[in-house]
Amino acid sequence: MCKRNASILAVALICTLSIAEAASSPNEQLPAGPMQEKAAAACLSCHEARIIVQQRLSKAAWTREMDKMVKWGAEVDPQDRDALIDYCSANFGPDQPLYSAPKTAGASASKSRSKAKH
Amino acid sequence: MTSRRAFLKTASAAALATPVVHPFLAWAADASAISVPGKDGMIVRSYRFLDLETPVEFMIDWITPVNHFFVRNHMFEPAKINAGTWKLTIGGEVEKPLTLTLADLQKVPVHSVTNAMECAGNGRSLHNPKVPGIQWGKGAVGNAKFSGPSLKVVLEKAGVKNSGKHVMFRGLDEVPGKVPPFIRSIPIEKAIDADTLIATQMNGAPLTQHHGFPARIVTPGWAGAASCKWLTEIAVLDKPADGNFMIPGYRMPNMPVKPGEAVKPEDTHSVTGLTVKSLIATPSDEAKLKPGKQEIKGVAWAGEADITKVEISTDGGSSWSPAELGKDHAKYAWRLWSYAWKPTKSGDYVILSRATDCQGRVQPDAAVWNPSGYLYNAYDQVKVYVQA
Repeated sequence: MCKRNASILAVALICTLSIAEAASSPNEQLPAGPMQEKAAAACLSCHEARIIVQQRLSKAAWTREMDKMVKWGAEVDPQDRDALIDYCSANFGPDQPLYSAPKTAGASASKSRSKAKH
Repeated sequence: MTSRRAFLKTASAAALATPVVHPFLAWAADASAISVPGKDGMIVRSYRFLDLETPVEFMIDWITPVNHFFVRNHMFEPAKINAGTWKLTIGGEVEKPLTLTLADLQKVPVHSVTNAMECAGNGRSLHNPKVPGIQWGKGAVGNAKFSGPSLKVVLEKAGVKNSGKHVMFRGLDEVPGKVPPFIRSIPIEKAIDADTLIATQMNGAPLTQHHGFPARIVTPGWAGAASCKWLTEIAVLDKPADGNFMIPGYRMPNMPVKPGEAVKPEDTHSVTGLTVKSLIATPSDEAKLKPGKQEIKGVAWAGEADITKVEISTDGGSSWSPAELGKDHAKYAWRLWSYAWKPTKSGDYVILSRATDCQGRVQPDAAVWNPSGYLYNAYDQVKVYVQA
């Protein structure tokens, strides 16, 4: 019983921490997969993951993007290039549902309108 | 915004350390709004570096408040610039190279232009098939009053030589990795137009950090990329600037191309003036309405040309009726419009808007697909449900 309670507590704690962590970072996350860590290392020092996850590109287009980014400083081991292109194509291909962008906090349109009138 | 360097110290480590996020938790993260001081209710296309889009529902005022004006960055914003030590150099093909402080610039007579500024890639996500780049919806556009010296007056102080054909701008953006710097140029004819500004103010207040404090170029009627922020250098050149953001960046094929088809640089031209375009601000797409009096409202602009007509269809394009244009207007500014509509029957309606300008350009039913997704300007469209 004690053990079970401890497990529940641990799971609850992990969930709470995950929510806190996810909510506290304004940056998007890359999806799980064998290349997640390598994609993060190659791409996220220059821009956040949201720029990747909002794309819906064919493999040919991802290949062009990957090669352009390597030219622009993304550190990709040549052995990882094809797997990274596959990771992006599988997760952010033309058939994936559209990415839903978050909003910044603050006033709605109607509030802005009353503000603008003052 | 956190400065880039401070951020980099933690960013990669945090990205790697973050556990796999369960879909429920990912939803929870998205549902919680992101704090960007001075920018309210904006769509976050990118946080680091910052790209913010204005929801179309906000486009009901002639002047877009700064807190609702879109932000487009190609790179990291510079750390806040010290206005006391900031300097602007003017060089290249000039008789007398200059270095100006902000105080020097403030002695030059102020000129104001109300400009509908639009990102060349606005509407990119609406192109099919999709193209790479920030996936802007409809709202990378806003209308603001910019004020500051005419670039022409400052160029005259330096004395442009006859060899001067283009004017290049460099900003203080922080360039990550080996990314080419964001340097572009405009032809001398546009640079010496009295309405092209070294703006220090936006809507009557000093520029904010996100909009290029302390000074930016405003090239009115042209795609936003011609309006360099955090300006630090102006150079007169004997030819267009080279570099990634002139070629292959910001270029359109001279003739329509098929997706995947290779386009030679010589078969392209630089994106300059904006096209004719309108947007529907209200009702929102997918809105549920009651039968009876409705007001359809929005904005329309045409770069260097004036809007002469906006037409509305409430039957998916079978018939069109003119909207009433708003009383506020100015060269380069957008025009508000409204249309009184009284649906009597319940049902689904597709509302379209199409603008016409003084050059006879008409917003088309389909935009020209191009590999970078520039200048999307098809009829705007919302679908609404009328139910008693």
